[in-house]
Amino acid sequence: MSSELHHYKCGVDRKSNKAEVDPITTQIVRNSLNSAAEQMKRALCRTAMSPVIYDVLDFAGAIYDNHMRLLAQAPSLPLFMGTLNFCIEEAVKGVGGESKLNEGDIIIYNSPYGTGSHPQDAALVMPVFFDGELIAYTAIKAHWLDIAGKEPYSTDTVDVFQEGTVYPGVKLYNKGELVEDIYKMCIANTRVPNSVAGDINAQAIGVRAGERALKKIVAKYGLKKFRDTTEAIFDAGEMIVRNYLKKIPNGEYVGSGQMDSNGVEEGTVPFDLKVIIEDEKVILDMSNAPPQQNGPINCPLPSTVSTARVSMSMLAGSNEPPNEGFFRPIEVITKPGTLFHPISPAPCFLYGWPALQAIEVFYRALGTKFPENVPASSGGCINGIVWWGIREETGEPWADGAPHPVGQGASHFGDGATCLHHAESATRFAPAEVWENRNPWLINKVELIQDSCGAGKNRGGLGVNFEFEMLEDSFATTVCERSKLPPWGLNGGLEALPNNCFLMEDGKTNREVPKATRVPIKKGNKILLQCGGGGGYGDPKERDHSKIIDDVKQGYLSKEYVNKYYPDVKL
Amino acid sequence: MSSRIGVDIGGTFTDFIVYDENDNKVIIDKIPTTPADPEKAVIEVVKRNLNKEQLSNIDFFLHGTTVGLNALLERKGSKVGLLCTKGFRDIIEIRRGDRDEMYNLFWQPPPPLVPRYLRLEIEERLFANGKVHTNLNINDVKESCKHFIDEGVNSVAIAFMNAYSNKEHELLAKKTLIENGFKGEISLSSLVSGEYREYERTTTTIIDAFVKARMSNYLDTLKNSLNDIGFKGSFLLTRSGSGSMTFDEASERPFETIMSGPVAGAEGAGELSRKLKNTNMVTADVGGTSFDTCLILDGRPQIQFEGKIVGLPLQSPWVDVRSIGAGGGSIAYLDDGGLLRSGPQSAGAVPGPACYERGGKQPTTTDAAFYLGMLGEGKLASGLQLNKKLAEDALNSVGSKINLSAFDTAKGILKISSANMADAIREITIEQGIDPRELKLLAFGGAGPLMSNLIAEELEIKEIIIPPYSGNFSAWGLLGADLLQMNAKTKILRLSDDALTECNTILENLFKELEERQKIDFTANEKIKEVALDMRWMGQEHTITLKIDDHSDGKINLDSETLKQNFMKEYEKTFGSKLDTVVEVVSTRASIRVNLPRKSESGKIEEDNIEISSSTISCFSFNADKNLEFKIIPRNEIKSGMSGPMIILESTAVTYVDENYNINTDGLGNLILNNKEN
Repeated sequence: MSSELHHYKCGVDRKSNKAEVDPITTQIVRNSLNSAAEQMKRALCRTAMSPVIYDVLDFAGAIYDNHMRLLAQAPSLPLFMGTLNFCIEEAVKGVGGESKLNEGDIIIYNSPYGTGSHPQDAALVMPVFFDGELIAYTAIKAHWLDIAGKEPYSTDTVDVFQEGTVYPGVKLYNKGELVEDIYKMCIANTRVPNSVAGDINAQAIGVRAGERALKKIVAKYGLKKFRDTTEAIFDAGEMIVRNYLKKIPNGEYVGSGQMDSNGVEEGTVPFDLKVIIEDEKVILDMSNAPPQQNGPINCPLPSTVSTARVSMSMLAGSNEPPNEGFFRPIEVITKPGTLFHPISPAPCFLYGWPALQAIEVFYRALGTKFPENVPASSGGCINGIVWWGIREETGEPWADGAPHPVGQGASHFGDGATCLHHAESATRFAPAEVWENRNPWLINKVELIQDSCGAGKNRGGLGVNFEFEMLEDSFATTVCERSKLPPWGLNGGLEALPNNCFLMEDGKTNREVPKATRVPIKKGNKILLQCGGGGGYGDPKERDHSKIIDDVKQGYLSKEYVNKYYPDVKL
Repeated sequence: MSSRIGVDIGGTFTDFIVYDENDNKVIIDKIPTTPADPEKAVIEVVKRNLNKEQLSNIDFFLHGTTVGLNALLERKGSKVGLLCTKGFRDIIEIRRGDRDEMYNLFWQPPPPLVPRYLRLEIEERLFANGKVHTNLNINDVKESCKHFIDEGVNSVAIAFMNAYSNKEHELLAKKTLIENGFKGEISLSSLVSGEYREYERTTTTIIDAFVKARMSNYLDTLKNSLNDIGFKGSFLLTRSGSGSMTFDEASERPFETIMSGPVAGAEGAGELSRKLKNTNMVTADVGGTSFDTCLILDGRPQIQFEGKIVGLPLQSPWVDVRSIGAGGGSIAYLDDGGLLRSGPQSAGAVPGPACYERGGKQPTTTDAAFYLGMLGEGKLASGLQLNKKLAEDALNSVGSKINLSAFDTAKGILKISSANMADAIREITIEQGIDPRELKLLAFGGAGPLMSNLIAEELEIKEIIIPPYSGNFSAWGLLGADLLQMNAKTKILRLSDDALTECNTILENLFKELEERQKIDFTANEKIKEVALDMRWMGQEHTITLKIDDHSDGKINLDSETLKQNFMKEYEKTFGSKLDTVVEVVSTRASIRVNLPRKSESGKIEEDNIEISSSTISCFSFNADKNLEFKIIPRNEIKSGMSGPMIILESTAVTYVDENYNINTDGLGNLILNNKEN
């Protein structure tokens, strides 16, 4: 089996013949569906218990039809969104198929090979019935702070069973009634039960908000017209992406990436990806990837498909919220048993990191031929850190975690900004004052790193240094990829400073800990997180001198840096 | 003691209204805004309506202005320097890491208001609880002071980490700046906001510093000019967080006025709701470029405590008016997927809708409405006659690409834009756990009464209220603005009786600060203290603001158990779900309201006489899905018992009444449209 290639069409086709629908109703229903998804998000955020959900927005909420086609999604974590159809499919299988679904049911599902994620990313799936007929699903996949893996967060698991408790598609609500036994299992299998209890409650409120809003829309138009209209919505979405692809000549474009390590063994893990443009279609060939790894950097198929959906809909989607139609012109080729199509129970806790990188490698591949269409590399990572411990005063367990912003790659359109990674584009990191209220630490700095950008006609965005000083003993798991592969430039632009993370003990020794599990941090010791800059775009010689001089005035660049990369500039 | 003038400066027009208590008369007027010197239009419109003697009898001048907002939009304000804690000078540039346009790979944030070379770091540090970690280094401040003076900085924002819990370092830094010769304005984050989140608080402090000089200059000039022409009363300015503040306080705290643009309309809606026994309603304020909506519950608009303006966060109370880019001037077009859309691009005042004959070629909502007959014959109060042929051409330019006739395109534009408006209303109501069907729709603004039937239909709302002077309702709303001051402090406490004792100590300080902030000289009027707590289940971030009615002069009388029950009830109402764990108080809020003397309940409404050339028009009925004969009637001839189909004309707006509505009046000057099917 492992020698055969796996082809996956990212978007599902029409399910009924083209019907007479007016474009006006189509637009109205499309907007109403987006509004319904937005209502799910608001309900979730306002009731969630963990900052990872309400502040970081580490979740995705969306509405699918009964063929598991994406009707609408709320602006949230893009990388999650591309996986929800798999979650729904497997969740329904888990409870025994469609025939076992009732109105008011909510299924909990987090099996990593079905969600594409680590077990902490738990999906709640609610079937939506209209006049007794199953017509749709609402789903929210959200990151729980802890789900009783070997650690709250790990970089060194060797199989999925170390990674957390698995709920293989079981009913959390049956006909609207909470299934107490399952709920108790959920609460028992976490280090932070209050937080998980609150987040389950919030996710349930969210999927129900979506169910209610969707039913109103269907009731208004009637099921037949609603369905005909959604087909037209998908067709319109498909056209947006096809119109973009039409403008790119046929051809095959290759880009390469590299993981720092697989988490349990020394040595980098390089990979090549291919983007094939074929008329109005794009094929993302990920089959030439290395074999699946002994450490947790394997990316299960749903998240691999998501990288394709996210990267191409951000590139070709006219800045619009996508639906199923956007995905139809996209195809993914993988090879089972490899990094981007591992076989269970290969560990996959850090699935997200190869996925983040794949998105940028697709752009890198296209950039070899069409540099004006894509940005240079960003810092390339979300530089996640998860912290935990027991509070000295109260004895209560605490845990927190966040992604951190990096410099963005410069592009034809201008300099790069400093933001979170594309794959987490709507997410945020918490303000230091909120963090200090909640966690036993002081934050000593959140500052831009001088000279951390790639030079070019347009320069990359600057990276950021975060320094955390612990006020009580605690632990952290750090995940900073791309500490060895610096952010690349584009079209003659240069490389930027890569990510890294350092443990500062007793005020002196600095130990590199870019990817490390359960690092003990004693009271008074510090973590310095170095978030990389963005690559440059275009020849540095072409940069406007007044911009370079201003960058020096502002302290973004040092004189030494300017002498090295822009030697023609007189300071 | 209740005669008053209201002047609201908008982007296109400056609206004027005066209420005279002696004869109970109301006069309204409108004049083009003079953006370079906004006070010119104000003085002009006051002078042409009131002579010196009349003016000297007016007690209050109530004002809404976009001067502060424009300073931000145009980025024309003071040269601001920032003093911040060592290690944090870049937070205003790093922000929170998110993208405003999440699907845009190339998005760039707006540049920070203070360039990096003017963001100076000071050695000092506080813990979250306000205790000192590192003392303020006075030498750092002295050196910064010199740097600011050398660089010509004329306004300084001081924002230290955790200063919301202890303002001593900021006060000391300010004192040091002054002692060392800094002559400009100084804004302190701890006085701007007592709430946490450094990016948001720092940015708000910078905004305050940025607009302060421009705002106080403007207010001084306006005050002097009005005094010169004979005004002797009190000057009040609309606050973003509802109510009004004196010009003096506004000069000190200009950030509190930045988001006041749509507030007057919401305030007017609140006042109207109170007159109607606190009827819950939602507003539909449709202007040229935007649709603004606000939920009115228990007679008051909803207040939020953190907003966003031109891409910058503002940590200040604001009336929760949500806007979308949908108005009379919104342009319809085809998107990349071949679907028809409307807005957010607007044809603005120039070129305006195609039918205005000012060179506009793209179809707008106004073109669509006019083409369908909804604007009657299309003769505007200004004398302008709309051109139907140009409207048709514009509609065809888009419709023909998707095989739609001009007629169907026009219908489509109205349906799409009203559905967008309905979606916006759904989001703000459902967020509060309110079903829009339980509300009344209050429609105003130039195009609100026109769109009201369609919006109500989408939301299944049964009753529509069209207030008097519906096109100028915002100015009308100004007249009712009471004096209001707000203050808040973040201190996270687990709810207990001890915690409530602490809240009461906090409240005492908050009220003391408010009293010191401004001496209110309307001694005859009662000061009403209001208390609210931001509460949540422990672990949550978002809070519910619970108004506490049971307090004595600002001191909470409740015990913690009763308060918890109240919170649980409110939580269940909002989210439909029950929890029972530890409750936290996050922020404590104090406000003082001084009610202005009431206007007479039955203000005499004088609607202009409108000349009508034809008494009927063939107009599209969305209910019948075909054209019907609509009567055309001036608003001052409307009597209870009439019914649609009808087009009602007044000088500032047109009301479209479909065949399925009955029309009533209520003695307060409102038109009430009731859906016949109920």
